Amino acid sequence: MPEPRAPAAQSAPGDLEAGGPVGQLTEVRELLFGAERRQIEELRRRLDTLELSPEELAEQLPRAVTLRTARDRELAAALAPTVERAIGESVRRNPRDLATAIFPVLGPAIRTAIAEAMAGLVQSVNRAVEHSLSPRGLRWRIESWRTGVPFAQVVIRHTLVYRVEQVFLVHAETGLLLAHVPEQSGDDANLVSGMLTAIRDFVSDSFQSRDTGELRTFSAGDVCVLAEPGPQCYLAAVVRGQYARELVAKLQQTLETIHVRWADALGAFAGDTAPFDGTRPLLEECLKTVLADDVRAGRRGIARFAWAIPVALLLLAIGVPLARANQRWQRAVGALEAEPGLVLVRAERDWGRWTFTGLRDPLARDPAAVLAGLGADTARVDGRWEPFVSTEPPLALARARRVLDPPPTVALRLAHDTLVAEGIAPAPWIARAASLGPVLPGVTSVTLAGVSQELPAALEALRRDAEARRVLFAVGSAALDSAARAAIAAFATRYERLRREAEARGFDVALRLAGRSDPTGGEALNRDLSRRRVEAVAVVLARTGIATLAGADALGSSNPLDDGTAADRARLNRSVSFSIEARLNHGGQ
Amino acid sequence: MIQKKVCMVGVQGTGKTSMVQRFVHSLFSERYLSTVGVKIDRKVISVAGDEVNLLLWDIEGRSQEQEVPTSYIRGAHAVLYVADGTRRTTFEQLPQLRDLVRSTVGDVPSLVALNKADLAEQWALTRGDEAALPDAGLHHVRTSAKTGAGVEDAFHWLAKEVLRADPSRR
Repeated sequence: MPEPRAPAAQSAPGDLEAGGPVGQLTEVRELLFGAERRQIEELRRRLDTLELSPEELAEQLPRAVTLRTARDRELAAALAPTVERAIGESVRRNPRDLATAIFPVLGPAIRTAIAEAMAGLVQSVNRAVEHSLSPRGLRWRIESWRTGVPFAQVVIRHTLVYRVEQVFLVHAETGLLLAHVPEQSGDDANLVSGMLTAIRDFVSDSFQSRDTGELRTFSAGDVCVLAEPGPQCYLAAVVRGQYARELVAKLQQTLETIHVRWADALGAFAGDTAPFDGTRPLLEECLKTVLADDVRAGRRGIARFAWAIPVALLLLAIGVPLARANQRWQRAVGALEAEPGLVLVRAERDWGRWTFTGLRDPLARDPAAVLAGLGADTARVDGRWEPFVSTEPPLALARARRVLDPPPTVALRLAHDTLVAEGIAPAPWIARAASLGPVLPGVTSVTLAGVSQELPAALEALRRDAEARRVLFAVGSAALDSAARAAIAAFATRYERLRREAEARGFDVALRLAGRSDPTGGEALNRDLSRRRVEAVAVVLARTGIATLAGADALGSSNPLDDGTAADRARLNRSVSFSIEARLNHGGQ
Repeated sequence: MIQKKVCMVGVQGTGKTSMVQRFVHSLFSERYLSTVGVKIDRKVISVAGDEVNLLLWDIEGRSQEQEVPTSYIRGAHAVLYVADGTRRTTFEQLPQLRDLVRSTVGDVPSLVALNKADLAEQWALTRGDEAALPDAGLHHVRTSAKTGAGVEDAFHWLAKEVLRADPSRR
């Protein structure tokens, strides 16, 4: 194409004028090349500008888009923001148009969602049916009947579980993280809190929801983020599972508490999160895994220890009898060990059978009797007891009684290893006791000082006759009347005779007087009266030659003589009586 | 720990995202910029023994007509403006951006990163342009996304200034 242009360029000089030969030539050239020249100029203009006209673009665009889309994704990437903005703009301007346009797309999506929800419901109903046959199910059925809530809902409420995995406390204005639990979940929490804030802002800006409220929840799968807004900070909880309404209330309550307690720190917040470390316990309270039904949680808590009940009962059933058996055993062993005359060498038990081995003094109690006294089953007790002689005091005393066979008027006792005998005994017994006593096992000496030898029968009769005399007095008087004096004389005669005969047989006799009064009057007066009566008798006795008295007791009305009717008793006690002791003198011992 | 919110703003194509990429801890991909319009990264800086956690809100660069969403700027403790030193228009837009930011957060420590400093032969800013920044109360640093030059300095200056501006630390 340069050829046609070259002559035109060369023909430019101004020597060719219109009307002249040159003008004619131009006309001819116009006639011959006019159309081509205009085409050339148009092409030149296009080459210079290199721009497409709308018409040309309209021609080329579909083809260009098809070609580029087939080649790579660059065009889609380039168009995406514009398309998104366009959609956003469309929604802002008139949501209805877009809703109408995407309805065919949304329809199936909604149907799928409903199908999934129905599947969930069917599962819930299955669970409800399953639970309806259990005791727990019956309880829930009663709850359903009582509260009017459908049974399936009651079951769902009781079985659904959710877990709060993380809680963020975020400064509302800056999106900075004030506190986060659990602590170990990474350093990225502050980035997440920033993005959470940005997303909430984005939603507010994009959907102009400042007036209608803020983004409170969003979810992905079974994880859901619950954002609880507050004026200065907000709480975001990451929840897995179906959260209960109580959780929202808990978050609100926590947020309110934080706003009140950290009001100053929130007002002055400039990036230092240290003051908010104290909120962590509050946030941790929101963090716990929570069963939808606290009652069930409590029950589960008890159920966790339910195994302990039969175990405890079993332990009681076995342990109590065992403890009792052990107690009985200990008591039996203790009793046998403590029993005088028994030496327990070995004690064994085997499946309820007791075997005791040891030494037994023949005078000791029967071990079976000891055990029977404790309530033991003696049929299940075996004993192997070898005889031996015990020197324990109870056994030594028992042996002394058995060997010496004292008369009933003699009492035996052991003072350490000395056998002490007291009372009245015939002379042969006293002699035997003196010889046998010291050789008894457990006895080293015998004391017989307290034993009075019995008087011979004739003298004993005389003694009793003398003692039967009584000196009686008038009421309130210590004066001796004739009867009294006669009684004294009668006694003196008998006593003198007894003394003489007893001394002849080696006995010493001793006389005691006892003065008494009747019970009327004060005791001090009565004692004085009885003393004067004794003295009066003693004076008379002394005149008869009986001057030595072993003792004179003024008893008053205490220790009265008891005889016959009350009147007799009063008379009898206004008296002085005699008692005579006869003791073998040294020559007789 | 001290945490501070730093907003990074600039018109599209100034390379601010790639400028900081090597220097920050990221959790989110760049897709957030085109969807939510912001991406948050973290940069820990030590200033005189104090650790400062800078949460860097990289706000999507908009074209000239579009405004930066003010809700993202709210509460910022400092602002990092990014301009492309090889494109004058991005520099000339700074006053407009700054007015918008100031109307939201007031006067906070502000720094201008003049990016693409490695392209010296294409540098479109005059000495006079850069000299005018301090007069306007703006500190500036030449940075390069390619070489990484100046980026750490920019963060250090911001961290130091936010601590100095912190009313609770006076």
